[in-house]
Amino acid sequence: MKVYMKPIKMIAWFAENGILTPVRYQMNDESRQHITINIDRVIQRDEEKLAGNRMIIFKCQSVIEGTEKVYELKYEIGSCKWFLYKM
Amino acid sequence: MFGVYNYDVGCRKVMDKKRIIFHIDANSAYLSWEAVYRLQHGEAVDLREIPSVVGGNQATRHGIVLAKSIPSKKYGVKTGEPLIQARRKCPNLVVVPPRYELYMQCSSAMIDVLKDYSDKIQLFSIDECFLDFTGMDALLGDPLEVAHGIKERIKRELGFTINIGISSNQLLAKMAGQLKKPDMVHTLYPEEMPSKMWVLPVEELYMVGRATAPKLNQMGIYTIGDLAKTNIDLLKYKFKSWGLMLYAYAHGIEDTPVNNDGAVPYIKGIGNSCTIHFDVEDRETAHKVLLSLVETVAMRLRHGGFCCRLVQVSIRTSELASYGHQRKFHVATDCTNEIYAEACRLFDRAWRGEPIRHLGVRVSELCGNDFIQLSMLEESWEKQRLVDRAVDKIRLKHGSYSIFRAGFLHSRLAPMQGGVVEDFPVMTSIL
Repeated sequence: MKVYMKPIKMIAWFAENGILTPVRYQMNDESRQHITINIDRVIQRDEEKLAGNRMIIFKCQSVIEGTEKVYELKYEIGSCKWFLYKM
Repeated sequence: MFGVYNYDVGCRKVMDKKRIIFHIDANSAYLSWEAVYRLQHGEAVDLREIPSVVGGNQATRHGIVLAKSIPSKKYGVKTGEPLIQARRKCPNLVVVPPRYELYMQCSSAMIDVLKDYSDKIQLFSIDECFLDFTGMDALLGDPLEVAHGIKERIKRELGFTINIGISSNQLLAKMAGQLKKPDMVHTLYPEEMPSKMWVLPVEELYMVGRATAPKLNQMGIYTIGDLAKTNIDLLKYKFKSWGLMLYAYAHGIEDTPVNNDGAVPYIKGIGNSCTIHFDVEDRETAHKVLLSLVETVAMRLRHGGFCCRLVQVSIRTSELASYGHQRKFHVATDCTNEIYAEACRLFDRAWRGEPIRHLGVRVSELCGNDFIQLSMLEESWEKQRLVDRAVDKIRLKHGSYSIFRAGFLHSRLAPMQGGVVEDFPVMTSIL
């Protein structure tokens, strides 16, 4: 997997107990076209607090352009930003 | 700074033996924190592995090296030297700007981890603290193993390396923490002093700096061991009470408790200074800079619950020559306007008219502000002090720039100067 760390637009779902699940996101592909990706499955979630900065890492699976791909998303709690971390 | 030891060197401390103190120090803190933050945000290069420095902004003339990576050390880059000089030594040096909010965040994350190991933690600076482990060994086990555990945990969770020094008092723990870096745990118990501490050059001793070291060298004292073996009367004759303290430190004698109430270290004076982004050539502008410094200093003074008896003004010219002037008040004060008036008087008396690069204001001889001896002969500043209190409250609630003096409008100068960040949290400004 390659590290991208690209900011993305996200629709996420926050449960009553505070657990958050990413649902669908939008990003620009190489030709600067918006593409929307549905997250089919969240495989794993981890929290890291490197440099005291809390981030939740989601390992997810989606079908992108006809192929099934596994990749990682990051949510930065302090700034409420979502990133496509690795794909 | 450590507290003052009761110099009864003759009776070697007995109680110290039972204490276990950790000194925790983040390795090249600013730089490694920045490196970890960048790695977390997807940067491929680890700043710690290439010649890199955290440097101030050259445009505002704050262009000095604040922290350096270990590879840049090989090129001879030194902390505190101008960036231009550092670049000359190492042409492919990577310079990153400082990010003080991040440092605060890293520092408090480190303290949060340490709180799992003891309730007595004393902040010493943004990247250093003391932890009193006395009695915790019954619960957590061998101090050395716990220290290794803390070090590994911080590396794993927070991503940066630390050094831990273990001993029976703060002084020896700090000396131990600085033995070899990075990512190490050292012990320096009193019985290990001859082999681990006495062999070090005397300038490595805490409180021996560039002024004291040459004087000691002239006396034939080159190592800490030499100092420990020097006749105490000779040191007392040469350095007065300072000599007694040096002698005690060379013997590892120091007994201040790890103080965790408010985490504010013992304060002798409060000062702020700033490098101005242009050369100041007229008296009026210089007074304005002084006022902006006094605003910060006096606010910190009041916040700490102190009054001061002495004001000091320091001037550095564009030729980098420094001088200063100081004067005592008859009556201790914490009033911004009173300190400012005195600072201006001192400045006018000291200034020789050359262009000024850097100005500083410092107050000392502190005392509590609850009881003050009043004087019938002095002007009453009572109303002014009420205004100061009101202004402080507004600034605390709405930010430093919510209220400032009209004189700073369109003046190219910040209404409050000194300290590292304009809107630095007030508590930490005492550190």
